Amino acid sequence: MKKYKKHSLLLLVIVMFILPLLLDIYWLDVLTLVLFYVVLTQGLNIVVGYTGLLDLGYAAFFAVGAYTTAILMTTFHWSFWLTLPVAALFAAVAGIIVGTPTLRLRSDYLAIVTLGFGEIVRILAINLDITGSSSGIYGIPRPTIGSYVLSSQQDFYYLILIVAIISVLVVYRLGHSRIGRAWVYIREDEDAAEAMGINRIRLKLLSYATGAVIGSLAGSIFAVKMSAIAPLSFSFLQSVMILLAVVLGGLGSIPGVVIGAALVIVLPEVLRGAEDWRYLIFGVALVIMMIFRPQGILPKKYETEDRSDLDEKEETNDKDHSMSV
Amino acid sequence: MDVFLQIFFDGLVMGAFYSLIALGYTMVYGIIKLLNFAHGDFYMLGAFIGYALLSFITGDGGLNAGLLGIGAVFIITMIIVGLAGIGVERIAYRPLLTAPRLSILITAIGVSLSLEYASMIGWGASYKVYPIKLSKNGLEIIGAQISFAQIGLIVLSALLMLGLRLFIEKTIYGKAMRAIALDQSACSLMGINVYRIISLTFFIGAFLAAGAGIMSGVYYGTINFMMGFIIGLKAFTAAVLGGIGNITGAMIGGLVLGLVESYGTYYLGGSWKDVLAFGILILFLVFKPTGILGAKEMERM
Amino acid sequence: MRKHSMIALGFVLVLSLFLSACSSKTGSGDNASGDEILVGVLLPVTGNNATDGKDMLNAMKMAVEKINSDGGVLKKKIKLEVADDGCDPQMATTAANKLVSKKVVAIVGGYCSGSTLPASGVFHNANIPMIVAAANSSELPKQGYDTLFLINGLVPDQAQSGADYFKDKGAKNIAIIHDNSAYAKDLADFAKKSVEENGGKTIAFEAINPEEKDFGSLMTKLKSLKPDGTYFTGYYAAGGLMLKQFKQKGVSGSFMVGDGSYSPDIIQIAGSEAANDLLVTATPTANFIPGAEEFVNNYKSKYNLSPGPFSALSYNGMNLLVDALKRADSTDQDKLKKALKETKAFEGIGQVIEFSDKNTLNQSNFHVMKVVGGEFTLEK
Repeated sequence: MKKYKKHSLLLLVIVMFILPLLLDIYWLDVLTLVLFYVVLTQGLNIVVGYTGLLDLGYAAFFAVGAYTTAILMTTFHWSFWLTLPVAALFAAVAGIIVGTPTLRLRSDYLAIVTLGFGEIVRILAINLDITGSSSGIYGIPRPTIGSYVLSSQQDFYYLILIVAIISVLVVYRLGHSRIGRAWVYIREDEDAAEAMGINRIRLKLLSYATGAVIGSLAGSIFAVKMSAIAPLSFSFLQSVMILLAVVLGGLGSIPGVVIGAALVIVLPEVLRGAEDWRYLIFGVALVIMMIFRPQGILPKKYETEDRSDLDEKEETNDKDHSMSV
Repeated sequence: MDVFLQIFFDGLVMGAFYSLIALGYTMVYGIIKLLNFAHGDFYMLGAFIGYALLSFITGDGGLNAGLLGIGAVFIITMIIVGLAGIGVERIAYRPLLTAPRLSILITAIGVSLSLEYASMIGWGASYKVYPIKLSKNGLEIIGAQISFAQIGLIVLSALLMLGLRLFIEKTIYGKAMRAIALDQSACSLMGINVYRIISLTFFIGAFLAAGAGIMSGVYYGTINFMMGFIIGLKAFTAAVLGGIGNITGAMIGGLVLGLVESYGTYYLGGSWKDVLAFGILILFLVFKPTGILGAKEMERM
Repeated sequence: MRKHSMIALGFVLVLSLFLSACSSKTGSGDNASGDEILVGVLLPVTGNNATDGKDMLNAMKMAVEKINSDGGVLKKKIKLEVADDGCDPQMATTAANKLVSKKVVAIVGGYCSGSTLPASGVFHNANIPMIVAAANSSELPKQGYDTLFLINGLVPDQAQSGADYFKDKGAKNIAIIHDNSAYAKDLADFAKKSVEENGGKTIAFEAINPEEKDFGSLMTKLKSLKPDGTYFTGYYAAGGLMLKQFKQKGVSGSFMVGDGSYSPDIIQIAGSEAANDLLVTATPTANFIPGAEEFVNNYKSKYNLSPGPFSALSYNGMNLLVDALKRADSTDQDKLKKALKETKAFEGIGQVIEFSDKNTLNQSNFHVMKVVGGEFTLEK
């Protein structure tokens, strides 16, 4: 059973690596966007799915990554690879900055603080000169490996595919580590978790920071892939779409979130022919989906019978089945 | 001219809109703990239905409809949108009342998208110009101007809010609402029809938002299908600022937000006023997390 | 059980992607080789800017119809492939890639500068020439792409014409307001520069949020600054409301808007009374151009609408492309690029197109228009 699953996963990865040879440039671009969303949703999954902190401003971390890389590469002529740790550092700091005031807040206030933070980052990007104000930053150079310049669609597809695979693995491993279990514990019962010796503050901040770092990584690659970034890409709607992917797929569930990411990107593209109708169809589909399957497409399987509870509870007698990837 | 007072009036007008919309957010939240993201779209819907009715009675020619006609349009529109509110609650939210909170949030986003784009298909993407025009006449108070339209707007929203307060404090339905906000299951044990009261809450929220929608159409003159989005976000902010779940808090939150933005525009410039508004909100939440008038109890998530 | 379903779902997803990719490949295999030439159109046909986008598309369709009924070009018919950019950079890149994958010969379009910027990079990488009919941020030519051709007048020229007009009228203290869109910010920056070079003073440089409706406190601020002239560089929806509130508050001086607000809608939104004496810096539309009556009449009878602010430019863009295709005598991209570059005195509606070394217009055609009695008239 387990073996079979591993083989299937391996096959899936191989298919993903072969796909660019078969796809035309448009679908390759769509698929690349899906992979960006896979990375972003993995990051948000830590914050919302594991730790249970509702974040409505996640695009801000995406922006921090994109702008850090863009500014360092255009103004200071850094190599792309060197900008990554700096962007990650900035994002982690930003994550802690948002996290700190929210530690004492309950979920709905948390939602509005993160929303406010997201908006502030976007407005800063619009108004500051260093971020190129409204037109953003353009002419971001292509990254190089040795003498090879990453420039084609395929190159970026492979780059983001590798990052996506790494982020899935990292988030999966984190979720099954002591830290991950502590996060879930905080989500389920914060006071009990604290009583059991879990450092609530440190772990919550760690959750924000880890989520932010993963988001910034996607942002950095986004900047070099697009070669031009503008504040419009980091709007509230972007945050909502990322959250949508996480919830649609199934909170806390890695394969679910991957599928959620694919749906959120692919569905509007498939509906492109429907022009005016596409967002209406999308909206109605969301409502129907939530009515008939509110736990998401592929929920994390430890679901309790108690549906009236707001959050899912983890079953502890489930060690053998806890591999959910 | 007294600039300080003038900006106060400008802020008051904006604040009146925020308050009216924030009320719906806060009521729905108070009762079923749902952040109804689609709430701003009831405001949009109100503006559009009011537009359609007004165009109909003025024969699309921009003739003056008469005060009676406008009043009738106001009431009919608010009732239609209120019913739409009940419909949305029945179709989209009721099946999910016991589901995880995030699912219902996503549903709200879905409803919001559906309402926006259905309006776009129905009325088109371009800006519509309201068929009635307001006179520019007004008063001067210590050098600051305030037009009759602005006075009317502020008075009308104050009346609507006052009516709501009376309704909640004095009527049996209001009592039921307050009871449900405290303990839903105890209420159903006491024989209160909880679902009906929830429907009523949605009706009132949408009703008030629709009123704000028409007022905005008449006052500013243009409407379009995305108009509910930004103001919905702002009203949400106002509701939290005032202490979400608290009716008086929502009114005060709306006015405070309007004034902050107004003074922010004057002293800091238009591009920074949103930073100021959100910044104050965050500071507030850090130091007084329950908002200006929020309940004392604090619950961790 | 659930694992199986997950794997199955994953594969179905991949498979469906793959299949749709295949079908789109077979669907558009023979663009230039068959009896059709596929031309890509990149415009916002949904979202807030859909109105102008559709006006532009209409004009392009009209041009194509005429070309095809005259026998087409290179013995082939022209077919348009429309992709919606929604004025959103991310959507625009995907849309641009879609057009590239359909193997279009060239692109006409580009409305919002913010979304045209990243899209132009995609076309540059694919070596596909793009004729930009409306977007004219100065950031576009700065990229130095040899595939990008701008046929709308440039922002610095427009800013200059506005500043010169103020100077002629003796307006010294100018307030400048933009809406934080890439284009409006660009125009505002240049306007500030031009005003100051002309010896004037920028007494306010403000930004608004284009979705907002209440500019009351901003107008109060302006009023206290007593400007001789106010220049708003954003789009008409906010422009109309601002103009109305500008008049209501009784702010001093004249009100001028950029070509993003050059639309009859601004008069309708502000009301004809408030719109009186409104100034606009713009390239005159077909209505004001001698010899363009035919275009205007055809457009009106076909779509039952007046042409939009960029309809004539879009019409010209499509015709310019056909002209270049004829001169290149091929759909080969390098030859087409060369032919476009070598355009000599191409006569469009209301403009003569020749490109500078930066692939921008050699001479812009900006004028100041004034609203009199609810109609635009040529002022200078």
